[in-house]
Amino acid sequence: MINVQNLSKHYKIAKRDPGLRGAIKSLLYRKYEIKEAVKGIDFQIEAGEMVGYIGANGAGKSTTIKMLTGILTPTSGEVKVNGIIPYENRQKNASHIGAVFGQRTQLFWDIPVRESYELLKHIYEIPQKQYEETLAEFVEVLHLEPLLGIPVRQLSLGQKMRCELAAAFLHRPKVVYLDEPTIGLDVAVKVRIRNFIKQMNARYGTTVILTTHDMQDIEEICQRIIIIDDGTVIYDGSIDRIKSQFGDKRVIHFELENASHFTLPGRLVHDAEILPKEEEDPHKVSITFSSKDITGAEVISIIMNHYPVVDLTIADPKIETIVEEIYGKGMKKEVRHEEVF
Amino acid sequence: MRKYFEFARVQMQVHAAYSAWFWANTLSVLLRMLVIYFFWSAVYSNRANIEGLPFKGMITYIIIAMFLQMFVSGVGKELAHTIKDGNVAIELMRPYHLITRLIAMDMGDKVIYFIRGALPLGILAYFFLDVTFPQTWLSGILFLLSALLGIWIGTFFDLLIAILAFWTINLWGLEVMKEAVVSFFSGALVPLILFPEWFQTVSLFLPFQAMVYVPVAIYTGILTGTDVWMALGSQFIWACLLFVSLRVLWSVAIKKVTIFGG
Repeated sequence: MINVQNLSKHYKIAKRDPGLRGAIKSLLYRKYEIKEAVKGIDFQIEAGEMVGYIGANGAGKSTTIKMLTGILTPTSGEVKVNGIIPYENRQKNASHIGAVFGQRTQLFWDIPVRESYELLKHIYEIPQKQYEETLAEFVEVLHLEPLLGIPVRQLSLGQKMRCELAAAFLHRPKVVYLDEPTIGLDVAVKVRIRNFIKQMNARYGTTVILTTHDMQDIEEICQRIIIIDDGTVIYDGSIDRIKSQFGDKRVIHFELENASHFTLPGRLVHDAEILPKEEEDPHKVSITFSSKDITGAEVISIIMNHYPVVDLTIADPKIETIVEEIYGKGMKKEVRHEEVF
Repeated sequence: MRKYFEFARVQMQVHAAYSAWFWANTLSVLLRMLVIYFFWSAVYSNRANIEGLPFKGMITYIIIAMFLQMFVSGVGKELAHTIKDGNVAIELMRPYHLITRLIAMDMGDKVIYFIRGALPLGILAYFFLDVTFPQTWLSGILFLLSALLGIWIGTFFDLLIAILAFWTINLWGLEVMKEAVVSFFSGALVPLILFPEWFQTVSLFLPFQAMVYVPVAIYTGILTGTDVWMALGSQFIWACLLFVSLRVLWSVAIKKVTIFGG
């Protein structure tokens, strides 16, 4: 369905000195800086797959999605969606895809939701009967009935997002790009949205590309994840695989009476490590280890023998922690991760 | 084609939602009409005609030009805004041509403006402000043709400027300048025959006079005979030229597009 080969995108960014002087100077001449947002990535996505496309801010996610949708022209490399080269045949590609951008609205601001859908019906040339069926189904699943008569600008974020989602799937697209579809939403709405996406995939075989920072979304919806960092793909595979490879990772957070001079006790030096502190708190220490080397109970008992422990929490081996480690600070330091890729 | 028609229809519907704003606008046009009327009555109080134009001819020109000027600006602002806030990304992901869509919406705007603004105010002007009909049927029909071409030229010129937002990001200054240049050179303020000879020669080669001056001059009989056909011909050439350059510039622009804001 989606075929990406050695895809790159470079931006030319005008550099400007700060302040008014810089602004005037930039009128006369500009310095440019080349930013490589995407550096030769490859992946294939089959029809009906639900793929999480994740990476830190600025890793190149949005740029890739924009090339897949045909908005951006790649600097080099090949991209094909459903047999079409998106940037060459943008409008044709557009009729087979749907998209939700959590930060932007694609409904029509001034008119009621129902009218927006009517307009979409014409835009995507949906047959009347199919339109009625689909809309009736969406109204039920997403509970849209009370919203249909309200202009989009008056909807709350959660209401709007439900409407956006229906809009993206209304023409039964083959591929749907979801960019942060659950950003800023409460748990109940998130659950409803996730269920809706899964249902669409099951019923129409829609291919879903999901970019999000919400790992819960990924775990619930996707079977496969592609992790991108600094413009290159650093992991592409099933969630289960990454979990089993990193699943032995454990993190225990200790709260001590005084942790300012904390060092690992002798017995732990080989099997565990101190995680860098996220916040400056003299009482807290986080220790990471592999359950293959040592059990959690042992770590706790050793620490408790050496330091007065006030409280402790054991972090789950969640995909979230794993991913955080892969593209966070851990990545560069830990050599052990390399065997995964 | 159907989808573009739907855009025009929805745009008309949106107008219905903002009717207070609409009536405020109509009121301001009415006030402008009165100011113009009394200003030119004062100018004509000591003389029978200026540059061969009697009072009735002048007031007809000014008021028709004022109406027409409202039709010649387009949806450039919307386009520039879409580009600036990055929503052009979503527009480009839709199976329609953004420019055609904007023009369709603009047509919706203009139809509504014609029905609710220009038509009633025109009738009012006819009965109370000495505005006259064209002298012959032919000049009436040619006026309509020329006005359509003028509106076309104005709309396309407006969009052409707006596309520059892809490069400049902020367009406010350029828009303001464009407005000033258009109202001056298009003859929307006063007939171009009141300007010095050299100015008229210069504006002959610019697209602006084709927006307002030519149609209104045909209406009021300032242009007659072969001059009318010459003027229509040059309007037609400008219309084609702007159409082509808009297409070219647009395809260049979206090739090198950078979407702002992630």
